[in-house]
Amino acid sequence: MSKNSAGSTSLVGSKVSVRGLRKSFGSNEVLKGLDVEISEGEVVCVIGPSGSGKSTFLRCLNKLDELSAGTVIVDGFNLGDKTVDLNEVRQHIGMVFQHFNLFPHMTVLQNIMLAPVELKKESKADARATALKLLDRVGLADKADARPGQLSGGQKQRVAIARSLAVNPDIMLFDEATSALDPEMVGEVLQVIRDLAAEGMTMVVVTHEMGFAREVADRVIFMADGVIVEEGTPAELFGNPQQERTQDFLSKVL
Amino acid sequence: MNMSRARKLSVAVTALLALASGFAGVSAVAASQPSSHVQPRTAVAGETYVIGTDTTFAPFEYREDGELTGIDMDLIRDIAANQGFTVEIKSLGFDAALQALQSNQVDGVIAGMSITDERKLVFDFSDPYFDSGVQMAVAEDNTEITGYADLAGETVVAKRGSEGETFANSIKDEYGFTVKALADSATMYDDVKAGNSVAVFDDYPVLAYGINQNNGLKSVTEKEQGSSYGFAVNKGQNPELLAAFNTGLAELKSNGDYQSILDTYLEQPAPVAASGFFGLLSDSLPALMKGLGLTLLATGLSIVVALVLGVLFGFFKVSESRVLRGLASIYVSIFRGTPLLVQAFFFYFGLPQLTGQSIDVLTAGVLTLSLNAGAYMTEIVRGGIQSVDPGQTEAGRSLGLGYVTTMRRVVLPQAVKIMTPSFINQFVMTLKDTSLLAVIGFAELTYQGQQIYAANFRTGETLLIVAALYFIVINLLTMLSNKLDKRFNK
Repeated sequence: MSKNSAGSTSLVGSKVSVRGLRKSFGSNEVLKGLDVEISEGEVVCVIGPSGSGKSTFLRCLNKLDELSAGTVIVDGFNLGDKTVDLNEVRQHIGMVFQHFNLFPHMTVLQNIMLAPVELKKESKADARATALKLLDRVGLADKADARPGQLSGGQKQRVAIARSLAVNPDIMLFDEATSALDPEMVGEVLQVIRDLAAEGMTMVVVTHEMGFAREVADRVIFMADGVIVEEGTPAELFGNPQQERTQDFLSKVL
Repeated sequence: MNMSRARKLSVAVTALLALASGFAGVSAVAASQPSSHVQPRTAVAGETYVIGTDTTFAPFEYREDGELTGIDMDLIRDIAANQGFTVEIKSLGFDAALQALQSNQVDGVIAGMSITDERKLVFDFSDPYFDSGVQMAVAEDNTEITGYADLAGETVVAKRGSEGETFANSIKDEYGFTVKALADSATMYDDVKAGNSVAVFDDYPVLAYGINQNNGLKSVTEKEQGSSYGFAVNKGQNPELLAAFNTGLAELKSNGDYQSILDTYLEQPAPVAASGFFGLLSDSLPALMKGLGLTLLATGLSIVVALVLGVLFGFFKVSESRVLRGLASIYVSIFRGTPLLVQAFFFYFGLPQLTGQSIDVLTAGVLTLSLNAGAYMTEIVRGGIQSVDPGQTEAGRSLGLGYVTTMRRVVLPQAVKIMTPSFINQFVMTLKDTSLLAVIGFAELTYQGQQIYAANFRTGETLLIVAALYFIVINLLTMLSNKLDKRFNK
């Protein structure tokens, strides 16, 4: 299963290539044909009103949701190809959820070590060392033996980020990572994401934090009703939106 | 996705097959005691025959210090000794013994059974060994009922399927009373003493024996000219056993042994010295503890098998395969949708008739309880797994962990914690449900209690002791389970 065996038609240097992506839940079509190219090291923020399909789009990128139509090629793997080992693909894609989804029956350290050890990527000792390093990176070295229940929301989300970094992904997906947080904790989580962006990680960030999108994104995508209405640099999209739908949305949230 | 689904299916099917073959193994073991003895009559020598009998039909069969005794027991054992064969007595209850005989679970039945034309259609009877007759008895302090004529508008009780019931029914229209049928003598006598019925119709030797044991009744009519008791084998089966019985009976009659057996039980039944509650307790405790042991054995075996079934079908229920989900749903709805008692009857009496393979009572009991509890366990497992936040699975899968690893490391540890209280509850339910196996003659705690009060007629006190034993054991086990739950599921 070499990376190029999927017959990729993506552009050179393209990390994510989405063509004609459609997704329906029953008779309800949530994504109505998306085309997106994301190159290596690019930070793309996806904004839009609730129910616009942002999260579903993100979940199609690691196939937590099945695709109804179209192709998604991530890191050279064609997700529509039945012979592709999804578990392997997903190790290249880290995902951070709105509600953290930490494993409550494990300590912080065990949460982070689980995947590297189970996937036999690292020995227990190595995984432990990596986990401690990652915890230090998100500023939580002292919480290694705490249980998720003892942490604040911001701390939980930072642990969740450390956990998804533990399998050494090439791409990070953030699904409204700060939406469930108290306002005073949003900053600490955004700082971690900002640092990752600075290190050159390819990222797709679904967010309601317009200020953050304007500051960190290389490109901003505005979605509404299952389609991409408009996309461009933060300066273009926030400074000079072309579509009425975009203008309307921005006037409400800015 | 398709491939991994197919793999999941094949794993599950393999597990199911393994389970099925396990059952086949069990029933094969149970079936390794066939009852076909198609040899010439002299061949009874050295043979072992399984003989079914009533639980208590004193003085024909009852327990004394835990051992089966009585006219029938002495007779069949002496005849066996005389003819050189051995008998294994199974105390099943009257109805159950007849059903066991029809399904070839036993080779013969001796249970104070009247020889009737109806029964002759399905059984072959020996020469009569006792001439019985029906007699009516009322409560000791009842002075109003002195004959059939006083029964107008009243309810009387008789033993289901017995000569007494037939007789009572034959005169009920003439005298205007109602007949209620109950399963054993002790219950009937209690029914009369409690005033639910005014009189009981029972075989005179049984009544006479009970009255002599201070059962609180008195007989008020003369014995009706009745039928005779015979030993029975299934129609066309075991002719050599029947012949040996007849020969043996004739020899016992001629050597005086027969008369001395009758005298022992009917001539001078010694009045029982009424011991106090603690006397009863110490007398009955050995038998009850033996029953308790079997109760715990059946519970333990059943709960382990039920756990395996519950986990297997519980996973089927949450699987992506429609076939597996359907399979699990059918299993659950069958065993939750029918009474446990019917299931017990089916596995012990029905299944052998359908398959032609006999099944021992412990296997049938454990099969019933484990399949029944397994259905409830399935729902507990399904509920436990589904009550874990789906975000947990998504987090596991998004890290690149497979379905099995995610289940094992992420979902199940949380699900087990949620399920544990329900598991403990099911465990207690199953322990209590073992008492229903008394009806198929499984000698557990309730059965032992029935045996004791059937012989001594001290129903209330005996049941109090039985209930107390259940109460103590169940509460001890519940406390222990909760302790373990707290320790392991912090």
